[in-house]
This record gives sequence, C-alpha cells and structure tokens, in this order.
Amino acid sequence: MKKIKLLALIFMVVSCAGYSQKYFTKNGHIKFYSETPIEKIEAHNRQVNSALDASTGDFVFKVLIKSFEFEKALMEEHFNENYMDSDKFPDATFTGKIVNTSAIDFLKDGMYDADVEGDLKIHGETKKVKEKGTFEVSGGKIIGKSVFIVHPADYKIKIPNTVVNNIAEDIQVTVEVILEQVNK
Amino acid sequence: MKKWIKILTIIFLVGIIGAGFGYKFVYNKPHRDYEKAKADYSISGKELFLQFNNSTTQASERYTGKVLEITGHLSNVETPDSLIIAVFTFAEGMFGDEGIRCAMLPKYAENISQYIGTDVKLKGYCTGYNETDVIMEKCSVIN
Repeated sequence: MKKIKLLALIFMVVSCAGYSQKYFTKNGHIKFYSETPIEKIEAHNRQVNSALDASTGDFVFKVLIKSFEFEKALMEEHFNENYMDSDKFPDATFTGKIVNTSAIDFLKDGMYDADVEGDLKIHGETKKVKEKGTFEVSGGKIIGKSVFIVHPADYKIKIPNTVVNNIAEDIQVTVEVILEQVNK
Repeated sequence: MKKWIKILTIIFLVGIIGAGFGYKFVYNKPHRDYEKAKADYSISGKELFLQFNNSTTQASERYTGKVLEITGHLSNVETPDSLIIAVFTFAEGMFGDEGIRCAMLPKYAENISQYIGTDVKLKGYCTGYNETDVIMEKCSVIN
C-alpha cells in the first residue's frame, strides 16, 4: 500500500475538481537565528520544499533537519544530535492555510499581507501556529516571506544547562519561498 | 614558597594551553571533509530513490546522515540561489520531476555541467527524503 504524501494530500480535492492554481518550489530558504550576549548562532537550509494552492490558500512546507548548515561544525553536531534528534525526527513540516485569501489576488502583481494558520511540526511535536507574512506576486511567481518566533521548549527540545546561556529562548525563524506555477 | 609558585605557574600554563586546544579543536573544529570521507554505502541512484519512495522510514533509517556514493544518468544542473544542484530524475510526480538532488561543493561548480546527459558517480552526505526528492549535500564527482 502506498501512503498518501503530505504535499499531495492537500491538493487532491482541488485536483479532482479539475481546477487549481498550484505553485511549488524545491529551493525555499529557511534561516534561524539565536542571539544571546554570549553567542550568535545562525543556520540556513536552502532546499525547502513548499507548495501553495492559490485557489484554496492551502500552504505547506517541508524541511530536512540535517540540511541545515551552521558556521561551526560543533554547533551543527549539537543541533542534530542533542537538540533536534534528527536521526529520529529527520524533518519538520508546516501544513496550513492562508486565512485571508480574499485579500490576495494571486494573479495580479503586488505585495499582499497574509495571515497564515496551521500545524507546525518540529522534533515530532505538533503545535497550532498563527503567523503573519507577505506574499509578493511578481511576473507569475509568488514570493512568500514570514519571520516568526519558535520556542524550543514548546517542541520538547531540551537545551542542556551547560549551554543554556548560549542559546536563546526565542529562536527567530525566517522563511522565504519563491513559488512557481506548476504546469499541469 | 618557590615550589608553590612553580606548581601554580605550570597549572596556569596547562590551563591556557588546554583552553587553546579546546577552542581550536573542539569549539572551532572543522566541518567534516565529505570529499575525503569514506562512503558508507555505494548504490545506484535509481535504487536509492525507489527505496526512499517505497518505504521512506526504512530507507531513512539506513541512509539518512550517511555518506553515499551514487551512480546515475545526470539529468540536469540547476543553480538556484547560491547553490549548484546536480539533478537525477527518476519519476514524474504531481509537482514535476522527482529523483535525487545533490548540492555540489563549490569547487565542482564549473565542471559538473559537462556530465549532463552522461552517467556520473557522485559522493555526498544524504540528509533524507522530502516527499519529492532524496537530498544530498556537500557532493563531489568521483568519475
């Protein structure tokens, strides 16, 4: 039995109806940033899968944890082994919806504010989130951006006491996706 | 008295040297050299993709986080953002081509394109499967 894929799932209903405006990228960029007086830590992942259905507002992204790159090898190692347990939880996902789709014209160039709601799953823990972002429609592409805060404790990520002063309690996450229409 | 000063000086120096070593070799230890790393598995690209596609969990347990040597017909090279990605295509999905995407080490930026349309052997660090593609990082050409 072949299981239904997350990305595919949200589009099934729409595809069956034979009408959709699907957008997709394999090279979304997610950055996170932690700053304390002792240390600044930043990591990047530029191979983020993301899909948007402009007709329904369904929006998802999926990111592989081990693809995050850090400046220091030691931080990357700690991140994977000690905090994110990336062997056990190899990816993080967001599955949600743009709530105010009526305020966004995905066919008309311009910058639109978006309210996005959904489930953010990190470290095997799923939390309901509600964040603000922007969608810029430009020449048939949709550039989605959002900056939000993630608290490691909410996702049962334990920071050991020895480095508790090096890692911020509020991690700033920046998501940037340049979505292109799927020709199907 | 003098003996104490000597001992304290030695302890102090050892401490400084230890901290120096710690800083250089632990805190600032270099990233793993995936170009020189020995491959954990050598596998055809198509086989790797099919294993991830058919049974993601088992394939992920086996290959994610490992150094892999893959062989296959290089379909394309893409350069989104600051990346150079060697693309192997093995299937057609809802969002287009699916297969293996290998982010190349910068030193292979120039010469990877010459292999498009030919069989090539690459080595890199597998970070998993994202429902459309198997992702490899820090890849080098072995041919």
